[in-house]
Amino acid sequence: MYIYDEIDQKLVEQRVAQFRGQTQRFLNGQLTEDEFRVLRLQNGLYIQRHAPMLRVAIPYGMLTSKQLRTLAYVARRWDRGYAHLTTRQNIQFNWPRLEDVPEILAKLATVQMHAIQTSGNCIRNTTTDHFAGVAHDEIINPLIWCEIIRQWSMLHPEFAFLPRKFKIAVSGAEVDRAAIGVHDIGLQAIEQDGVFGFMCFVGGGLGRTPIIGKLINPFVAWHDLLTYLQATLRVYNLHGRRDNKYKARIKILVKDLTPEVFAQQVNDQWALIKGGADTVTEEFVSSIANKFSWPTYETVSENDNAVMAHHLTTNTAFARWFRTNVHHHKVSGYSAVTVSLKATGSPPGDMTADQMEVLAEMADSYGFGELRVSHEQNIILPDVKTEALYALWQELNVLNLATPNIGLITNIIACPGGDYCSLANAVSIPVATAIQERFDDLDYVHEIGELDLNLSGCMNSCGHHHVGHIGILGVDKAGEEWYQITIGGRQSGALHLDKKSSQDNDERSRCGASAAIGRVIGPSFAREQVPDVISRLIQTYLTLRESESERFIDVVDRVGIEPFKKDVYADPLLSKYSNLVRESNV
Amino acid sequence: MSERNMNLIRGGQLEVNHVQCFGVAHEKAWSVPPDESNWMVTLDTWFEHQLSLSNRQFPIAILIPSDAEFDDDSNQQIKELCQANIAFIAIDFPTYTDGRGYSLAQLLRNVYGWTGELRAVGDVMIDTVYYLARCGFDSFLVKQGHNAQLALEALSTFTDTYQKSYRQPIQKLS
Repeated sequence: MYIYDEIDQKLVEQRVAQFRGQTQRFLNGQLTEDEFRVLRLQNGLYIQRHAPMLRVAIPYGMLTSKQLRTLAYVARRWDRGYAHLTTRQNIQFNWPRLEDVPEILAKLATVQMHAIQTSGNCIRNTTTDHFAGVAHDEIINPLIWCEIIRQWSMLHPEFAFLPRKFKIAVSGAEVDRAAIGVHDIGLQAIEQDGVFGFMCFVGGGLGRTPIIGKLINPFVAWHDLLTYLQATLRVYNLHGRRDNKYKARIKILVKDLTPEVFAQQVNDQWALIKGGADTVTEEFVSSIANKFSWPTYETVSENDNAVMAHHLTTNTAFARWFRTNVHHHKVSGYSAVTVSLKATGSPPGDMTADQMEVLAEMADSYGFGELRVSHEQNIILPDVKTEALYALWQELNVLNLATPNIGLITNIIACPGGDYCSLANAVSIPVATAIQERFDDLDYVHEIGELDLNLSGCMNSCGHHHVGHIGILGVDKAGEEWYQITIGGRQSGALHLDKKSSQDNDERSRCGASAAIGRVIGPSFAREQVPDVISRLIQTYLTLRESESERFIDVVDRVGIEPFKKDVYADPLLSKYSNLVRESNV
Repeated sequence: MSERNMNLIRGGQLEVNHVQCFGVAHEKAWSVPPDESNWMVTLDTWFEHQLSLSNRQFPIAILIPSDAEFDDDSNQQIKELCQANIAFIAIDFPTYTDGRGYSLAQLLRNVYGWTGELRAVGDVMIDTVYYLARCGFDSFLVKQGHNAQLALEALSTFTDTYQKSYRQPIQKLS
């Protein structure tokens, strides 16, 4: 865990003081609504359907047990006892009062947390692999590089008022688990001639115009990273469109200029600052690395394999969980565990204050007091001794936190939707629940295998539906909720389950280009039809797959969307309603 | 002048602003303002009348719009501007959320070598002067309705910084 030094601490405290003053001026009528709007957004505060919503950063997904306990305290004292994990490693409180927000931020600052730049047209929280630091396939440790980017981007004087929001993701491993292809800047660590650096993808993003990032620079050496980012942002700040909110993201600029011209403009700007004061030095990298408290792993003997094997053969429920929720660790004798926040019936990614406290306790007793949050809206216990897995599973199971569905259809990634969000066209949570209820047979869910199902309540795509193997988008038609289905999307080439990945997959997953945007299968459906549509898609898949290792997404890749489309719309039950809706482009 | 009009932060203190921008409201017969103090012209006017404007007894100030392009076409002219005998350069913020002026300021300071006064005008707020100052502005015409004294104090909102290539906010005018 990165531990703040005096300067880090002072900056978040001074930011709280600044926002306290701004809130006061707004409440006193000295700041207009318009003037205050952007200032509050840059401190994570939205005005939502029911109340303000406060989005707190969990920088690169890393959290301590102490911080999680404080989040529980905030949820109880100022909210309604729960919070929501977002798809960008942030956590949201849905019911704070505007007047209380400075106090909440002050409380968070005491545990080295903040809400700075979690919204607004600025550089947002940098995200990474949820197994960062413990993954077995890392080229570099992305935590250090994310912290370097965090510091560089935080309170950045030049890039606080960009044309639109700006999101950076970093992958330090061979397999991209950070979805770098769908970020404004996606950085993939690579090594070249004994020096490491980053492949730099620019202009990826979802929303109204989903685009996969383009490779703008195949190798930016590590010491040049910040000046290269600065040059990229400067080109965007000066030339990104400001006349139309829907064309303001950097992806439109890259597209309009062409990736080649854009890259040239970045190089021109870069030439002016390359080697300058923001060049990263070895000394600086060490100083950042030294501010992390790194886990002190024990040398664990693997003698207890017999005990584990016994549990795995005699306890089906444990074996299922082991298969989906336990992940390979870089240190022998340790495992990373995903705690599923996707139990049927609870809103995807929601966590109660009680759960936060229990998980904080587990992070202490089963690890080094650290946790991660994933962009798939789950919690990771990153350093569990493999021999303790059975005991941990038993504890989690009692608390309904051991749903064995990571990487499977019921691990639904979803935004809060119309129940909370004022932007949404349709609800998300009840649809997610209906799908989970439909797929309540765990044997069947495991038989289906790896499948990302993503659900967004509107075009803003907070549920990343474009990159779901199956994506569901809520749309509004004449005041009614309808749902559009896409298939064939992919956040990266990463394989969650199948360690037998082909060489081909490995190659693809090394670059952000392996992300893909799903294709719409046809006219939208009514809410109550959605589970039937998903069932139909799955039946088609199971009929078409050549072997169990051929995933849903692989079949879509192989045969295209037509067979799926045909089956869905040939189903009289489904076509009956969907025929009422003729707009094929919605 | 009443204290209310002391809305120009310059050299670390508050002043009354006397500079006005020469524009359509002025005498049509003149293409440039008379050689008197406190006149500012737009960048386009400067480009058009560079010769006469650079030889004044009372140096002129130049107003750069937020959508100015510092590209191959204007590169040489901007270089010359930064070497010319002018009072100061101002960059306009049509709204405070238009952040182009921050990058323009960086280019003027670090690429074109402008060492004179750089003024932020337009939608300049208590809440933006700190970042403006770090990007190279050293004078600020604070918008109506914003307390200029508070804006002056806001230059010390943060006592430390992460980004190494941007200056500290408090700079004395040379």
